[in-house]
Amino acid sequence: MKKESLFLWHSPAVSRDNKQPRMNRLHSVHRLLFSFALSSAALTQLVAAADDAEALFVRRIQPLFSEKCIACHGQEEVKIKGGFDMRSRESILAGGDSGEPGLVAGKPLESPLYLASTREHEDWEAMPPKETDKLYAEALGWIEIWIAGGAPWPDATRAVEITKANEAAWAAEDGIIVKTTGGLSPDWTNRRYPTEGLWGYAPLATSDFGSGISDWEKGKGEHPVDALIAKHFPVGVTPAPAADARTFIRRATFDLTGLPPTPEEIAAFEAESIPNPQSAIRNLLDRLLESPHYGERMAQHWLDVVRYADSSGFANDYERGNAWRYRDYVVRSFNTDKPYDQFIVEQIAGDELDPADPEKVIATGFLRMGPWELTGMEVAKIARQRFLDDVTNSVGEVFIAHSLQCARCHDHKFDPVPTVDYYSIQAVFATTQLVERPAPFLPNENTEGFGERAYLEKRRAEYLATLAELDRILLENAQAWFRENGKDPSGWNAAVEAIAAQGEKGGNRGFSEVFGAARNRLMKEGVAESDFPPKLVGFTPEQFGLERVARKGLERLRWEVDRYEPYALAVYNGATPQMKSVNSPLRLPKNPFAAGELEQTCILTGGDPFASGEKVKPGILSVLSSTAGLDGAVPEAPEGRRTAFAKWVAHPDNPLTTRAIVNRVWMWHFGEPLAGNPNNFGSTGKKPTHPELLDWLAATFVESGWSFKELHRTIMTSEAYRRSSGLEVSGSKLSREELEKTYAAFKPRRLSAEELRDAMLAATGELNPALGGIPNRPEINLEAAMQPRQVMGTFASAWVPNPLREERHRRSLYALKLRGQADPMMEVFNAPTPDFSCERRDASTVTPQVFALFNSRASLGRSLALATRVLRETETDEAAIDRIFALLLGRTATAAEIATCLAHWREMTPVQEKAVYPEVTPPLTVRREAVEENTGEKFSFDERLHAYADFVPDLQPGACDARTRALADVCLALLNSNEFAYVY
Amino acid sequence: MFTKRYFPCAGARALHVPTRREFVYGLGASLGSVALTSLLAAEEKANPLAPKEGHFPGAKAKNVIFLMMEGGPSHIDTFDPKPMLEKMHLKEFVREGKQKSAMESGKRYYVRSPFPFIKAGQSGADMATNWSHLAKVADELCFFRGCTVDSVNHPTAMYQMNTGNRFGGDPGLGSWVNYGLGSVNQDLPGFIVLPEVSYPQGGAANWSNGYLPAQFQGTPLRPKGSPILDLAPPPGVTPEHQRKNLDLIAKLNSEHAATRPDHEELVARMDSYELAFRMQMQVPETLDLSKEDEKTKEQYGIGKDTTDAFGRKCLLARKLVEKGVRFVQLYHGSWDSHDYIERAHGNLVAGVDQPIAALIADLKERGLLESTLVVWCGEFGRTPDNGVRGGTAYGRDHNPNAMTIWLAGGGCKAGHTIGATDELGMEAVEGKAHVRDFHVTLLRLLGLDDNKLSFYHAGRFKQLSQFGGTVIQDLIA
Repeated sequence: MKKESLFLWHSPAVSRDNKQPRMNRLHSVHRLLFSFALSSAALTQLVAAADDAEALFVRRIQPLFSEKCIACHGQEEVKIKGGFDMRSRESILAGGDSGEPGLVAGKPLESPLYLASTREHEDWEAMPPKETDKLYAEALGWIEIWIAGGAPWPDATRAVEITKANEAAWAAEDGIIVKTTGGLSPDWTNRRYPTEGLWGYAPLATSDFGSGISDWEKGKGEHPVDALIAKHFPVGVTPAPAADARTFIRRATFDLTGLPPTPEEIAAFEAESIPNPQSAIRNLLDRLLESPHYGERMAQHWLDVVRYADSSGFANDYERGNAWRYRDYVVRSFNTDKPYDQFIVEQIAGDELDPADPEKVIATGFLRMGPWELTGMEVAKIARQRFLDDVTNSVGEVFIAHSLQCARCHDHKFDPVPTVDYYSIQAVFATTQLVERPAPFLPNENTEGFGERAYLEKRRAEYLATLAELDRILLENAQAWFRENGKDPSGWNAAVEAIAAQGEKGGNRGFSEVFGAARNRLMKEGVAESDFPPKLVGFTPEQFGLERVARKGLERLRWEVDRYEPYALAVYNGATPQMKSVNSPLRLPKNPFAAGELEQTCILTGGDPFASGEKVKPGILSVLSSTAGLDGAVPEAPEGRRTAFAKWVAHPDNPLTTRAIVNRVWMWHFGEPLAGNPNNFGSTGKKPTHPELLDWLAATFVESGWSFKELHRTIMTSEAYRRSSGLEVSGSKLSREELEKTYAAFKPRRLSAEELRDAMLAATGELNPALGGIPNRPEINLEAAMQPRQVMGTFASAWVPNPLREERHRRSLYALKLRGQADPMMEVFNAPTPDFSCERRDASTVTPQVFALFNSRASLGRSLALATRVLRETETDEAAIDRIFALLLGRTATAAEIATCLAHWREMTPVQEKAVYPEVTPPLTVRREAVEENTGEKFSFDERLHAYADFVPDLQPGACDARTRALADVCLALLNSNEFAYVY
Repeated sequence: MFTKRYFPCAGARALHVPTRREFVYGLGASLGSVALTSLLAAEEKANPLAPKEGHFPGAKAKNVIFLMMEGGPSHIDTFDPKPMLEKMHLKEFVREGKQKSAMESGKRYYVRSPFPFIKAGQSGADMATNWSHLAKVADELCFFRGCTVDSVNHPTAMYQMNTGNRFGGDPGLGSWVNYGLGSVNQDLPGFIVLPEVSYPQGGAANWSNGYLPAQFQGTPLRPKGSPILDLAPPPGVTPEHQRKNLDLIAKLNSEHAATRPDHEELVARMDSYELAFRMQMQVPETLDLSKEDEKTKEQYGIGKDTTDAFGRKCLLARKLVEKGVRFVQLYHGSWDSHDYIERAHGNLVAGVDQPIAALIADLKERGLLESTLVVWCGEFGRTPDNGVRGGTAYGRDHNPNAMTIWLAGGGCKAGHTIGATDELGMEAVEGKAHVRDFHVTLLRLLGLDDNKLSFYHAGRFKQLSQFGGTVIQDLIA
């Protein structure tokens, strides 16, 4: 019997790559088991040669045990499951709690180890337990053969000999060893990777197409993008023709600005396209890329990836008053076509580059994007570790398309990412501390609207008045307490008088709090606690509640007013300060290294912050050193770690970085990325459908000076991008999905939540196109706005929209984004939650979307505004209808459509004449009801909504005549139409 | 014997990447629609909401009513009496250890429970006497004293109890159950949440669909105002008026769709408008309790000030389960009684005791208890001691190491108390199990295998228990 036969025993159809279990695998296991049973005798013969089974052990069985079994059966001695230790032949033979030996040498069908692995046996629970982790058929075969061959277990020396003797043959079949810093075990370090899973780490492939599209523009040769796409066309396909000019300008304008083209822009482009389509497109792209709205659109994409929000999440969901400056930094960066490598380094290490440059400091807001807080309920060290884990994983996902968290507790199961690397990258941030850092406002920042602070000051004054009043009540209650308990109040009275005499300066919260101070004083003096009144003595449930609301409200205001101050949500380098809780913005310490712990990063066993293992030095992802020749040294000094790391990320030879970004930009244009998981280029992510194209784009991007705008031009001038989404693909038997996947036809997309809202405002003419600035508060569903929301110890304040229309009608990018209070309209249209990096948006169709778009006051308001606009701009009824089509759909209405809509308008006019719309008065207060936590009783209070006092509502039905309202019915229908919601 | 365990967070390549078709099915989608039915014919199993068998056929529980006592009820003052605290009352001690949070620092005092206890029912279940109604159904309950969680902070602990993950953003239990079993009633959401007027800490993420498709999101039916946001058009717009506008949309859309016959999302989106119109009619009908008989309402405590709010929720939960809603979660709270626990817990218990007892009795009478798993819990338990509050405002702080959960119906081991805490109620010491094991057990009662109920996201298969857990067999009859 030839030696190889053992390893080729399996069916050739079962490839090494075919690891993933199938839903119907149960049947195949059954068949397998059956066939094994029949051929058992033959099998024993087959594996008679002991060295075959030995080799199988070294090559397959031991790695398989490590991968699938050892974590529970040997890795941690104290936690061995079921008493079954799989670290040696002896311990397997000894068996576990069942008392039976784990295997019977030579007899797989009597061996529990094998039987459990089949997942089909009645007596033995399926192993490994997790369905998605079950052994692939081939591996099951190995175990059977190994046991049939006597289950030999060569010692380490013999194993090395066997490995050496077979190295070349095995490498050809099993993939290659990839050099890294090394895993926690030699098995991991020396494991082999199928080469197809390593595409992301390989250097960019060189291509025959040169750099960029300049040759093509000069009329030489094919557009490289199209040439590379054509390579993967299915046999016999004829790609769709170019989309018409109107479709193209709508597509390109939404893609680059998130807004629809105006009817005038469409007409001009159509006219220009007739003589020279190519130059018309070139001019269009130039215009759109120069639009300030370009940066807004790209920022929306980028903020999805980095998880932008204006609040911190969790229990308190404190506002991050300064986050908006990072959002605007991103807009500016795209608008000025900041080279991507610079964009990367600034976001990771801007403060190290130039701490005096506000722009650079603001850029580091990126490192602060994750949800984070430290409350008194939490262990500080755990909270710190949460930040470190968050930021480590974030730089991985965002820039190098690697979710690093898999390597936090163990070496990565599938990718060459050892745990050491995880903690080396984490060490880069071990001296990074959170801070709201001074950063003077820049001339190009929008600092309008700071006057709204007055509303917050009104709130502050209310809270202070409440607390002063409650203090007065407590002092009265104290006297009652002394009377009721028959105790002597003289000591208490003296303390109260002494504190009151100190006057206003006594209270550092801006009010005098005599009652509490008197208690503290007596406590310090050693007076027995039973001799003076307990805290909050005699409070009614309502007073308990009001006290808490006011006290916590003042705390929350500290974060909110930071919005108008020249601080940046940023970081600094220093020792980790000792903190018990964080309940106001953090300020820069005078000497960042004077106090606290200078962290030394260690491997944390199992990811547990209290289980420090080996120390690690700051570093990079080591695999790229061997695969792409890219090294990076990170200094150990606490300063400069991030700069060095960022430069490694942004190195032109970093194939992960360059592929990751062009892959994202491709998706922003086509809805589909080239590599299916933009945040995961590891072996579990989808492989690129057009690898040559991905690499060519990445190389071209770097050669163009990391220019996004050039990248858009390159992509958008291709035929692939210009193709029609219609299916006029002659003679094709391919499905729509197949045509779209191969870019033979353009894939339509539904507008994103923000585009939907912005496009409506643009069509009605209400959109305020101002750039940047403090977040605004558009009107959201009123019930959601007033929905009481518990935060630690109290309620968050209600969502009160900006008083003025132009303040509310800003682009959706600028709406205050609170982790704890999403705009329901945005949410139902798949705006992602900022808890995770969003690699791509969904576009689901769910019924609540109908409620939001068809029933909401917002849609009613837009319809009325649009109807009013077209009536103002047109002379005839027909022209009015046509104008609605032009503004919403970018086309003229057909005669049939005009007739249909006119009929509806006429039919609805008498209905509207009879309709009665109750006037909506802005709520000046909202009644809050809750169970008060001290008493378990209900209490309520009125929250005053100061900004509503100045509220100018959107156009209301009562302000329009029936004819306008009836036309608004037509507008509402079109706002809800599919043609409006989709980009083709 | 091999025990159930596997390598943490292992996964493989996508088994089930949601298809485009799955995304097009909306809340309440699929029945009664010609367009959608024809779509279904093309790909029969495409509707992810269709009811389906679990992994273990024959499981008794089909539905869940989850009573979430938000804030963390004190086990020591409800179902886990600690006579030892009588002796230790107001004794001072200092807690040690590096995992100590700021809440646990400083001087601490032991605090005895202000509530007397009885042995209720044939099973002799421990209950504070103020659970006078619940005591009558004590033999239906299965108490579990072994559960531990990882967080002492409300929202993270709530997220963990509701989604298995402390950090939020993962799918809720109700989402997983619907993902696993589908929904019987296609015109109502399969996962309904009855929140308090004010949302709990952590907000709507407590009933998020997370990375599961949007159809599995929990739908809160708000106790005040419009039960679903924008369920009705603005006042002034009549149903007839709205129908006319819908017809215009349908006309415009069908003309548009005719030019793009292959684009099935367009059809799905058109259909969602019709479904929405139907839901607009049906939901208020379902929520209307006025037609229930007076005796039933009285049993639930509806009309009585203390019990009205939660009584309505409990009765509604029973109605929803009857209509085939798979998972209903009720919120009550806040049970976060740091101070004055006698008063606070006293009032809280008074608010839920009668309604919950009525719910269990009602389910039983209607033969629904066997197929309905009722769960009562908070996000953690409470400490036997109090902090700097000076031993006067007797209350309790958060305790992740001990709590009481009880189950009823659905094949749980009624009439038993499983697990035990130490003599002070500080930590679970017997039958101790992490909340992930509890989650796995809930799924098991519903016939679902946590290890099989997985979804590919961000590079690996994810599951409710995060990294897998062990079924707590003692909780299963």
